[in-house]
Amino acid sequence: MSVKKDKLSARGVTRTSFWQAVVRDWRLYVMLILPVVFYIIFCYKPMAGLVLAFKKYSMTKGIWGSKWVGVDNFEFIINKMPDLPIALGNTLLLNFMGLVVGFPVPVVLAIMLNEIRSSGVKRVSQTLLYLPHFLSWVIIGGMVLQIFAPTTGVVNATLLRMGWISQNIPFLDEGNHWRWLYTLVGVWQSMGWGTILYLSAITGINMELFEAAKIDGANKLQQIWHVTLPGIRSTIVVLLILNIGQMMNISFDRPYIMGNPTVQRYCDVLSTFVYRAGITNGKFERATAVGLFQSVVGLIMISSANFVTKRLGEEGIW
Amino acid sequence: MRKTLAIVLAAIMLLSCASLTAFAEEGWITLRVEAFDRNIAGFNVEDCMQLHYAQEHFGDPNHIKLVFVPFSRWDEPTLITNAMFGQTAPDLCMTYNGELINQAIDDEAIWVLDDLLNEYGPNIKAFLGDELLTYGQVDTDEDGVGEQWYLPARRLSVTNVGNFIRQDWLDKLGMEKPTDLESFEKYLYAAKEANLGGQQTIPMHLDLYESNPLYNVVRLTDAFLDFSQITEEDWYAYARNHEMLPGSKEGYRWLNKLYNDGILYENFAINDDAAQDSALVQGYFGFFTMQPDQPWRTDKNYQIELEKNVEGGKWTTVNCFLNESLNKRLHDVYAANGMSIFIPKTASEELAVAAIKYLDWMCVPENMFFMQNGIEGINYLGVNEDGIPIDVQSADAVADEYKMHAGDICFISNGLFYGSDEKNAAAIAIPFKGYEDEVVASNADALCDKWTQISFTVPIQAETDFGSMVKSKQGEFLTAVLRCAPDQFDAVYDDYIEQILNVGARDMIEEFREAYKAGNIRGTFPGNE
Repeated sequence: MSVKKDKLSARGVTRTSFWQAVVRDWRLYVMLILPVVFYIIFCYKPMAGLVLAFKKYSMTKGIWGSKWVGVDNFEFIINKMPDLPIALGNTLLLNFMGLVVGFPVPVVLAIMLNEIRSSGVKRVSQTLLYLPHFLSWVIIGGMVLQIFAPTTGVVNATLLRMGWISQNIPFLDEGNHWRWLYTLVGVWQSMGWGTILYLSAITGINMELFEAAKIDGANKLQQIWHVTLPGIRSTIVVLLILNIGQMMNISFDRPYIMGNPTVQRYCDVLSTFVYRAGITNGKFERATAVGLFQSVVGLIMISSANFVTKRLGEEGIW
Repeated sequence: MRKTLAIVLAAIMLLSCASLTAFAEEGWITLRVEAFDRNIAGFNVEDCMQLHYAQEHFGDPNHIKLVFVPFSRWDEPTLITNAMFGQTAPDLCMTYNGELINQAIDDEAIWVLDDLLNEYGPNIKAFLGDELLTYGQVDTDEDGVGEQWYLPARRLSVTNVGNFIRQDWLDKLGMEKPTDLESFEKYLYAAKEANLGGQQTIPMHLDLYESNPLYNVVRLTDAFLDFSQITEEDWYAYARNHEMLPGSKEGYRWLNKLYNDGILYENFAINDDAAQDSALVQGYFGFFTMQPDQPWRTDKNYQIELEKNVEGGKWTTVNCFLNESLNKRLHDVYAANGMSIFIPKTASEELAVAAIKYLDWMCVPENMFFMQNGIEGINYLGVNEDGIPIDVQSADAVADEYKMHAGDICFISNGLFYGSDEKNAAAIAIPFKGYEDEVVASNADALCDKWTQISFTVPIQAETDFGSMVKSKQGEFLTAVLRCAPDQFDAVYDDYIEQILNVGARDMIEEFREAYKAGNIRGTFPGNE
């Protein structure tokens, strides 16, 4: 090590040690404290609680004092809970639909935003697109009811009055309609926010490439196809892998709020299932067991996605 | 400048992480008491008139600082479960979540109250009475005598639900108030035929509560039960699954017909309370089911609002779900116990004593009177010859600092207490000025042919494990059997009954049956008399 260092300094290259770097960039490191603390508190510390999956939780003894029960909790959720496979299937299907429909939208949108010449129009449209991201699902759920409810919802009421349909379109009470509504509302909510990373990636593309393409006679579409898209390809791949890693995870509020008993068979996902099977009745050990199972499958998925992309010659995430 | 700002921000961050526990004054203790919070506009549970009164008259003399910890009334069962398991529950708690109580007893996570009651709770014992106290007793050490694990609140009015019909529609149709299902059905179809609520007429309202999906239909379908085929044992075994009792299927078939004929509210499964409330007061509905005094309540007065929108519009009680096999119009009523009041083990013995003392103070008649009624001249304008407050002011009629909630803060009594059963009953209608007769009639209907809801005196493990699964499946069942085409009804019904059994009802029924055989039951079987 020291030999190498000497060689480097002999060549006139100064190499800073870790501590020198810390002293020099201390402000950046101070800023880093917050996210690191966040991850320790909310992601790493709770991991220890995973032992609950193998225990029977007691109110008085807490996580550590509770009794070990081996794999009883897993046996219980697998043998005694026929809703679990349904919830698992719905989680994967809804996430898959969200990925297929929702993943390309921010890419297209980012490119479109990038092509807007007037900076005023661009800013206004960006802000408008971001807005839904900041709405809570409770509010969006209320909006969905107002718009898509049978008979009284804006869409059905209008179409019925105009005589274009004679029966309600069952957006909320027929399984497949509900799935598409769920997916598209999700796309609408998150597409603007999703453009941020792509926009910054596009900004990072060397302008000379565009100029060169123009000189070669490439029109707008050809520039997008041959310059912009290859320029943000690695960003797309990384986000795709991350998204695949999230396939087993599904938020609680969105399916819980948008769902209703009529479409229970379609809207019951792992998070809502866990809420019923473990949270409302204080069976936290079962909730933890489902969570652990979910994480393991998630890990397998993200690893395989990463492996495949690396094989395809892309960078991957590790 | 920037550096200073950064340092200040960092300092704030660190400080906020540090514990901010204030040091208690010498000799004083802080008693944290759970308080339901209903989000009443302007009413701050944590800083309300009742708290100040209790602090002044109970806290200060005993060197106890009272703190009310708000728990959302509607999420209470889940919130208190999480607080108990997270060991952050207040020192004095209450809940309607019976399963949580069972688990807490099982884990010995709450105080056994016998000694505390004997020493510090003479007024509690006097107010609740020996019979009611047995609800909170479970014999865990198996010595044949139950230990007092929790205190049941005293429920003064046991009525559960009322059914309401439009008197003005009946008048227009020239019909008498329905007295059985046949005449009720005639009313519904005639109302639809005549479009009495305009183009948007919906003769029959139905609302699916997701936390208990069959709650609003069970009285209708119970009218179809064939009691000649139902044993007392089955009645208890199927306590949570009336849809499986003989005859019930015909009740659901009837509802399915109503749905397919456009009589029943089509959006019953979609949680759109605002739209339903609006339709109720716009006069589109011809029938609905809620608490017996709901149409005339000051906080959500469907009657007054309806009058504003529909000339002559009038809600009135109806009692028409006649079960022919019994010749009774069955009404389920609550048991005499209200919510369960308990002291978690996380509270020290000193705090447990303080909690019992506080409850004891609450049970002294003059303290209870203030805690339930507030200040004369502000919360009510006078008292009648029986000493019962009259001209009770609704929450929006009093200034914020005087807003109060009787039941949530004075939780040992479920209902307003004036010293005797007669006075309490007489007092029920008094707050409903101008509609006293309607409320009295509605309460009488709600008590007609009453049977007491079933509970079990031993923890039912299967209900803890599967109760939420079964309920969720019942919701699916209800939407499926009501919305399917009539010719598919039988297949759909049978399929869902099987599914409900599979998600855990089978285990529950079995365990309820065992509990019945062992005599660990409360409630009544209407087929007995």
